[in-house]
Amino acid sequence: MGEPLLVADAVHKTYRVGRVDVPVLCGTSLSIARGEWVAILGSSGSGKSTLMHVLGGIDRPDRDKGDIRFKGESLASWGHGRIDRYRSRDVGFVFQHYHLLPELSVLENAALPCTVGGAGGLSLSGSREVRDRCTRLLEACGVGHRMCHRPAELSGGERQRVALVRALAADPAVLLADEPTGNLDAANSAAILDLIAARHSEGLTIAMVTHDQTVAARADRMVHLVDGRVECRPVSRSSGTSVPSRSPAAPA
Amino acid sequence: MFPFLLAGRYLRSRLIPLIAVGAVALCVALVVIVVSVMTGFLDMLRNSGRSLLGDVIVSAPIGGIPYANEFMAELSTLPEVDASTPLVDTLGLLRMPYPQGSRKETVPVQVWGIDPTSFARVTDYADDLYWKPGTEEERGLMQEDDPRLPLDDSLLRQGETLLDGQGKPAIVLGMHVSIVNSRQGDGSYRNRYGWFLPGMEVVLTVVPIGESGRVGAQRDRVFTIANEIQTGIYEVDKNRVFVPIGVAQELLQMDAAPIVDASAEPDANGQFPVRGTSPARVSKILVRAKPGVTAAALRDLVEARLNAFTERISMDPGRQGRIPLNMNVLTWEQQLRDLIAPVEKEREMMRILFSIIYLVCAGLILSIFWAIVAEKTRDIGILRAVGASRWGILSTFLSYGLAIGVIGSLLGVALASVVVTRINDIHDAIGHDAPAWTWISAYAIAAAATWGVVCYARRAILLRTLLFGIVAMTAALLGIALLLHEGTLIWDPSVYYFVDIPSTVDWTTAVFTALGGVVFSVIGAAIPAAKAADTDPVEALRYG
Ligand SMILES: Nc1ncnc2c1ncn2[C@@H]1O[C@H](COP(=O)(O)OP(=O)(O)OP(=O)(O)O)[C@@H](O)[C@H]1O
Ligand SMILES: [Mg+2]
Repeated sequence: MGEPLLVADAVHKTYRVGRVDVPVLCGTSLSIARGEWVAILGSSGSGKSTLMHVLGGIDRPDRDKGDIRFKGESLASWGHGRIDRYRSRDVGFVFQHYHLLPELSVLENAALPCTVGGAGGLSLSGSREVRDRCTRLLEACGVGHRMCHRPAELSGGERQRVALVRALAADPAVLLADEPTGNLDAANSAAILDLIAARHSEGLTIAMVTHDQTVAARADRMVHLVDGRVECRPVSRSSGTSVPSRSPAAPA
Repeated sequence: MFPFLLAGRYLRSRLIPLIAVGAVALCVALVVIVVSVMTGFLDMLRNSGRSLLGDVIVSAPIGGIPYANEFMAELSTLPEVDASTPLVDTLGLLRMPYPQGSRKETVPVQVWGIDPTSFARVTDYADDLYWKPGTEEERGLMQEDDPRLPLDDSLLRQGETLLDGQGKPAIVLGMHVSIVNSRQGDGSYRNRYGWFLPGMEVVLTVVPIGESGRVGAQRDRVFTIANEIQTGIYEVDKNRVFVPIGVAQELLQMDAAPIVDASAEPDANGQFPVRGTSPARVSKILVRAKPGVTAAALRDLVEARLNAFTERISMDPGRQGRIPLNMNVLTWEQQLRDLIAPVEKEREMMRILFSIIYLVCAGLILSIFWAIVAEKTRDIGILRAVGASRWGILSTFLSYGLAIGVIGSLLGVALASVVVTRINDIHDAIGHDAPAWTWISAYAIAAAATWGVVCYARRAILLRTLLFGIVAMTAALLGIALLLHEGTLIWDPSVYYFVDIPSTVDWTTAVFTALGGVVFSVIGAAIPAAKAADTDPVEALRYG
């Protein structure tokens, strides 16, 4: 294993519903090494999305109960500007519900992490460089012909691919994907996974939530969230290597 | 750059910004229209006050001012004084030439004895005389049956000199003193029942009041009507009449008279010896300032001169008359206090009412923006999650509000200026029965919409059925209202002094109201946007 890039250290997250505290994460710890691909499994409502939000810096753990560290730095110690940069540059996030802006075209949505940071120039679809990269990614994901459409005109699977392109647009160090293949058929799902795997082989660190064992099997490591805690299970007991394996391994 | 681009996209892709623009425009227009009319009204009141009275009015108690001509000669040496004129002011009764028969109508009037030549230099008297042929241009605009068309200059000459065709003293009546002049939509007059007053005779009755305040026996005098006058102020036109000052002084016993010594022995003819002359007296002196001299400044000058003059007269043992001590020297504004003050009060009340309406408008704009931003909360969450800063979010919605505010305010001011400049036309349209085509087309629209209701109801499309139903109902109600509409006179000249509604835009108010519209739009967008930018992205995303 390489050095840890993104670490969740005994994270607690409690939601308050009325007068009742609903604990979702209870001391969850997860360490993701540089260049590693981790699949996160768990039953519905086990807190997978919550963990992803906390890892992505868009939600905060309970005060003084756990810590998120990126490259050894605690997110809690960062100011607003650094957090904004972390969200736009350091991690790419694929939401479970896509979350695209309805008024923007597919291309403009994809370029969003670059343009909100000010790399936009005079257009919502970003500078020429950003536009070219997003176009290439959209074509690679099979939505190149939908570039000028609004999200409302796309199918669920197409929206999910646009969301994935948006997450990859700013060339982040970590991809946090919450069920990126949840709405895709087997063929499309495999295409997306190939794309992710290609980025992985270029050194992208990935944490991915999925319900699908065959999808999870392509990761280096599987973890299970049960009652807000992580139960670790290695994927390929045999190899034990950190080099990503392209062969589908048998599920545990 | 990103915030402006995104704001521009939001503006162009939804209906709700249009609603916001409309709301801002209507609020701004409402305030500008009402304040413009109100301010125009006060300005008109002031202007006409000055054109009726000159700048400064010297008035005496009931006994009158002696040596007025001497004092005016002194005033005319002042470089600040343009002209001055004496005036005798009293109340009287006027027996009109109508109706036929012996039971003539008698109306109370305010009598002004004037020297027409100098009076016309201080006031707009000569310009306000109504029965005159007018310029070529004015004649071109007159309708065929306008009684002024066949006139020549003679009535105008008579009015300007207050002498009838035979050179005898004549009278000029305010336009509404008689009931025979009926005002037309274009502002001209027609003679009711065939009565054309100039050239007819009236009897004026006045009561002289002595210097000491004793009431004398009533005096009657027959005058020929020389002309009629329209000052534009209804209160004046309704009860003012003008006669030559000499005649008025004589009727009121204010002319020069010998003072006799009744205690001495009468001479051979039974006459008492004459001890001196009591000078002629006037009630008021009107003074007009040279251009650039304020009424207040002139007032102070005139008062100083009057005090010096009073002292000189009282020191002179050869003079029999005395200038009363309780003289008033007032500017026209002070003189017209009881006319202007209620209007100013009314305007203050309107100000207060309108500051409330203004707040209501601000609240409306604020709540529309609140709705817009609330609808965008999920977007704000997404933007924050992909790394947009709070400041970026805030400036997006600030520029959004700014754009809506600026567009809305400009439209509002444009709308207001159209309405204000055409307000008399609009008022006229309301004042008449609605033309047939308006209600016929309203019913046509209602019928078409009803057809739409039937069609969509059969195809079970609920929203369209509902919308067409609303259109049909509104059009039908509008048609009924138009059909039943009878002209109503809102701007009643007897209430509002003037015959026309003021129609100039008050640009100061317009500018400040427009700025207010922009500020409220920006604030209205900023508050909910700042609130949304402060929440955690995940919280904001939950709204979606
Ligand atoms: N804002 C919130 N307020 C209250 N409860 C919440 C809130 N967010 C999440 N929860 C609760 O936390 C638990 C975990 O939610 P989470 O979305 O992380 O589940 P998940 O593992 O992603 O489920 P799924 O597989 O269905 O996506 C759920 O029981 C949910 O009801
Ligand atoms: Mg989830």
